[in-house]
Amino acid sequence: MARSSTTADVFNAVAETRRREILDTLIDGEKAVGAIVSDLSLSQPQVSKHLRVLSEVGLVSSRPEGRRRLYRLEPSRLRPFHEWLAKYEQTLNERLDRMDEYLEQLQQGEPSDT
Amino acid sequence: MTPDRHGSAVVVFPSELEIVTTREFDAPLELVFEVLTKPEHVRNWFAPFTDVVTECSIDLRVGGDYHIVVVTEDGAECSFRGTYIEVEPPTRTVATWLFEGWPDADAVETVELHETDGVTTLTMRLAFRDQAGRDHMTTSDGQADSLDKLEDYLASLQRDVVSS
Repeated sequence: MARSSTTADVFNAVAETRRREILDTLIDGEKAVGAIVSDLSLSQPQVSKHLRVLSEVGLVSSRPEGRRRLYRLEPSRLRPFHEWLAKYEQTLNERLDRMDEYLEQLQQGEPSDT
Repeated sequence: MTPDRHGSAVVVFPSELEIVTTREFDAPLELVFEVLTKPEHVRNWFAPFTDVVTECSIDLRVGGDYHIVVVTEDGAECSFRGTYIEVEPPTRTVATWLFEGWPDADAVETVELHETDGVTTLTMRLAFRDQAGRDHMTTSDGQADSLDKLEDYLASLQRDVVSS
């Protein structure tokens, strides 16, 4: 059961450093497993395992080309992450504005002769 | 007169799993640190007026826990908790960060303060756990780097102020 959360969730899928590196290397375009292996100095079984997790959450897609399989980034699947960040940014800005106002009150309320 | 800094937080994403927020306050560094780390202060600004802070405990020492619970207008409970990893008053804290509404968004938050000419700059770096773990493993290189950037940022801000 421990594995199910990793494979079901975009957040968990990108929480692994190697998987982020694989996504980075796919920014340039479609690549076969062999090209990713040589880009990242990882073993082929490692890369295949991470590609399987990324495929399961839809962050990468693949298609056969001759005897090879080419992997491609699906950036639209990062949307849940962007939505979370946007919400976080707004909440944070409002919170820091309140902190600003509170600091101003504190300083106005205190004698300035210290 | 102090400038109106509302909405001025600068939020950048240096990688997919890091969020760095920078915000200036017209207050001395020591006061900003107190307002960030003492429950009696945090209760006064953490939540919007429509919400209620029902729990706010901060045990400010290495290994100490903090827990903040906010109940929103519509009754939803938002709980933030974590444990301090580094505490260096009045300039820096590092703590784990978990928002219970987003159990997958487990992170480490580094808070740093700098004061220049009475203006204190707050920098909050939120890094998802394995990223932050990696930064800690590679010791202080990343931190020195980010402080350099903060210096550059402060310098650029002051140039902006002079030229405007």
